[in-house]
Amino acid sequence: MSASILSRTALRASSSVVRPTAVRTLASVATSQSAPAEKKANIKKFEIYRWNPDTPEKKPFMQTYELDLNQTGPMVLDALIRLKNEVDPTLTFRRSCREGICGSCAMNIQGSNTLACLCRIDTSSSAPVKIYPLPHTYIVKDLVPDLTQFYKQYKSIKPYLQRKTATEDGKENRQSIADRKKLDGLYECILCACCATSCPSYWWNSSDYLGPAVLLQSYRWIADSRDEFKAERKMALENEMSLYRCHTIMNCAKTCPKGLNPGQAIANVNPLTSPYL
Amino acid sequence: MASAFRTSALRTAASAFKTCARPALAAPKIAFLKPQPRIAAFHTSKSLSILPPGRQVIEGTINDAAPVPESNPSHGSYHWTFERLVSVGLIPLTIAPFALGSVSPVTDAVLGAAVVIHSYIGFESSIIDYIPGRKHPTAKKVFMWILKGSTVLVLVGLYEFETNDVGITEAVKRVWKA
Repeated sequence: MSASILSRTALRASSSVVRPTAVRTLASVATSQSAPAEKKANIKKFEIYRWNPDTPEKKPFMQTYELDLNQTGPMVLDALIRLKNEVDPTLTFRRSCREGICGSCAMNIQGSNTLACLCRIDTSSSAPVKIYPLPHTYIVKDLVPDLTQFYKQYKSIKPYLQRKTATEDGKENRQSIADRKKLDGLYECILCACCATSCPSYWWNSSDYLGPAVLLQSYRWIADSRDEFKAERKMALENEMSLYRCHTIMNCAKTCPKGLNPGQAIANVNPLTSPYL
Repeated sequence: MASAFRTSALRTAASAFKTCARPALAAPKIAFLKPQPRIAAFHTSKSLSILPPGRQVIEGTINDAAPVPESNPSHGSYHWTFERLVSVGLIPLTIAPFALGSVSPVTDAVLGAAVVIHSYIGFESSIIDYIPGRKHPTAKKVFMWILKGSTVLVLVGLYEFETNDVGITEAVKRVWKA
C-alpha cells in the first residue's frame, strides 16, 4: 500500500513538470501546486476575522494575508487551507469534504454567507477578499461559530420519519415517484446554517424563531408521504414565534449555497399559501 | 488502530465516567457558557449598541432539543390569516367610499376599526421583533402596554371624531380639496 502511494507521488511529481495546472472545480486538500517559473506572481490579499478565546481581553481584528493565486486552487477554501498550512497555523476554521456536501466551511465571504469550498476567489478585482464568520453567531475561535442553538432547534422538530402504523406488507415504507418528487429542493439541505444566520428575523429572535433551515427541514417531513405525524408537526409550529417570525425577507433563498428556497418551504407549511397541503 | 480495541461497552463506560466527573455541567437547568467578548463589539461603537447581545444562554444541556412552545393556533395560523384578511380588506374599504361617492357612517366606522386593528398588529409585530422577550422581558411588557394604551386612545378619538365631527372619509375629502 505504502509502495503504491510512493509511486503515485513520484508519478505526480514527474507529470507536474509537463502539465503543471490541472483543471479543478472544487476546493482540494492538496495545497500548493508548482507553477512555471516564467509566470508572474498573482498576489491576492485576504482579510480574515481573527479572535482568540485564550486572549478574551483582546478585541477581534482583521488580519491581512497575501497569497500567490498562481500557486493556489480556485476556491476560497483552497486559499484558507494554504494559509493555515504554509503561513499561519493558528488560523482556525471548519472544513471537511471540500466539495459542498458537509456544510462545515460555511462563512461570510465578501459580505454573503456561503461555503468556502464552493466560492471562487474573485480574480476580477484587486480588492482584498474579506472573510468573516457567520454573522450574529457566538464565536468559538476565528471563523468557527457556535451552532449549539441551531442544532438544538433542529432536534426540536424531530427530524426523522415517524409512523403510527406498520406498512401493509411489513416491508420498508415506500412512496411513489410523484411523492418522492415533493421532496426535491428539500432533501438537499446540508444544514450549513448559511440561511439561518443571514435572516434578520433569526438575528433578533434566534432563541424562539426556528429560522429558515430548521423550518425547511420541518417542512421536509411534513411533505414526506411516508410520515404519519404531519398534524403534530404542524401543530408544533402553531405559536407566535416558531414559524410566524418569517417576514419573507428572502435572504435565505438568496444566500443558500445549494440553491434551495427555504422561504418557499416556510410558505408551504401554511395551509393558505401552500400548493400541497 | 486504537478504535479496534475500543469496544462500544468501553466507550459507554468512558462516557459515563466523563458525565460523572463533571456534575456541575449536568446539574443546573440553564447552563451559561463562559462569557466572551462578542462580535457586536467589533461591528459597532459602544454608543451605537442599543441592545447589546449579552452572553450566550443555552437552555438545558447541549444535547437537549430546544423547548417547543405551547400550541395555540390563535397566535399562529389563525392570527396570520386574520392579519392578512384585515390587510386585504383595507383596500376595498379605502377605495369604496370615494368610488361610490357616498359617505356612510357604517363603512366609515368599519374602516376606522380596520385601520386600528391593522396598525395594532403591525406595531405588535415590530415590538416582538425588535425587543426580544427572552432577553428584555420588562422592556417588552412596557412597550406592549404603551401600544395597548395608545390603541385605546386612538379608538376613543376615532369614536369622538365619527360621532361629533365629520368622520374619516369626509375629513380626507376636505383635506384633499383644501
